Amino acid sequence: MKNSAHSSGKPSKLLPKKLNWWLIIISFIGFLDTSYLTISHYTGLDLGCSITKGCESVTTSAYSVIYGIPLSLLGLLYYFTILFLSLLYYDTKNRKILSFIPPLTTVGFLFSLWLVYLQIFVIEAICQYCMLSAITSTILFILGLFVLKYKKSLTP
Amino acid sequence: MQNDSKRLFFWFVSALVVVGGFLALIFLSSPSSGGPTGTLDPVTPDEWWRGNEKSTIYLVEYSDFQCPACASREPIVEDIIQEFGEHIKFVYRHFPLRSIHANAQAAAEAAEAAGLQGKFWEMHDLIFKNQTTWEKQTGSEAATSFSGYALELGLDIDQFLDDAASNSVEKAVDEDYDSGTRAGVNSTPTFFLNGEKINPGSYEEFRTLIRQTIEAAA
Repeated sequence: MKNSAHSSGKPSKLLPKKLNWWLIIISFIGFLDTSYLTISHYTGLDLGCSITKGCESVTTSAYSVIYGIPLSLLGLLYYFTILFLSLLYYDTKNRKILSFIPPLTTVGFLFSLWLVYLQIFVIEAICQYCMLSAITSTILFILGLFVLKYKKSLTP
Repeated sequence: MQNDSKRLFFWFVSALVVVGGFLALIFLSSPSSGGPTGTLDPVTPDEWWRGNEKSTIYLVEYSDFQCPACASREPIVEDIIQEFGEHIKFVYRHFPLRSIHANAQAAAEAAEAAGLQGKFWEMHDLIFKNQTTWEKQTGSEAATSFSGYALELGLDIDQFLDDAASNSVEKAVDEDYDSGTRAGVNSTPTFFLNGEKINPGSYEEFRTLIRQTIEAAA
């Protein structure tokens, strides 16, 4: 792993550290957010119904589950994957890792757009934690574009 | 990363933050943590009660007909009343979570309207039993369902419909809701045993709490 860092030559060829950190921070926020949604999905029945969570009409809607898997859990896995890849890159500086990030963040972004559409036009209720996830996935998408730009700069 | 111990430290801290964050969320989202507790309005004779009317041990439940957790605790409450009914007075108060349960208010009003014809508890049982049917319905469909239950109970249907739409019935539900807010209720079901908010984790714990209160009063 260290070899790849050396073979990349000058440090300027590395992904900017700031970008790497933003990927870590934003995916961590997304991870916490979707964790919360997933926890409340699985424990909702036992915890009772609460107004302070205010999210139930969205998170209990028919759209919140695909083939028995709650969307929040898919979101959790998505953010965890981005977080893990960003940490892995931070550690290894292996450029191959970076090629996974832009496609993933694009899928995440498109998925979020669909979910925002559902909330506004179909369920007609806004779940603030789901909107936070839409924001984090949008930021990740933009960061993904920067990663892509960086990768392009490597190949003349 | 320069060396292995530094890398190890990096991954250790990362794992700690990720797992720690996840566990903290589990802890924070449990209902027992926090929540302001106010004072419970005293039980009055005109409330919906079961058990021993003269008892001074009150078990008050704030409940929402559309809340799945309330429906799932319903058999437990029933068992409690069967076992301790001689010693306690169980009081049902409405706490419809209107912002998230579209038909909860209407369900509470239907139960109140049935209560005016002496069938509150029968309606209460039917509404909970059929929760999965009417919870997904639109407002007018749900109203039809509730009327169906009224017919099933042999109520005077015109009277029932008038009452369900009346201001006094709406006010009765709202008064319960407001008293719940004053008592610091923010989720359903919430139980108060002699004015103290209780949060039994299991049926056994529920029984023990009530038995202890009865023994202390004896």
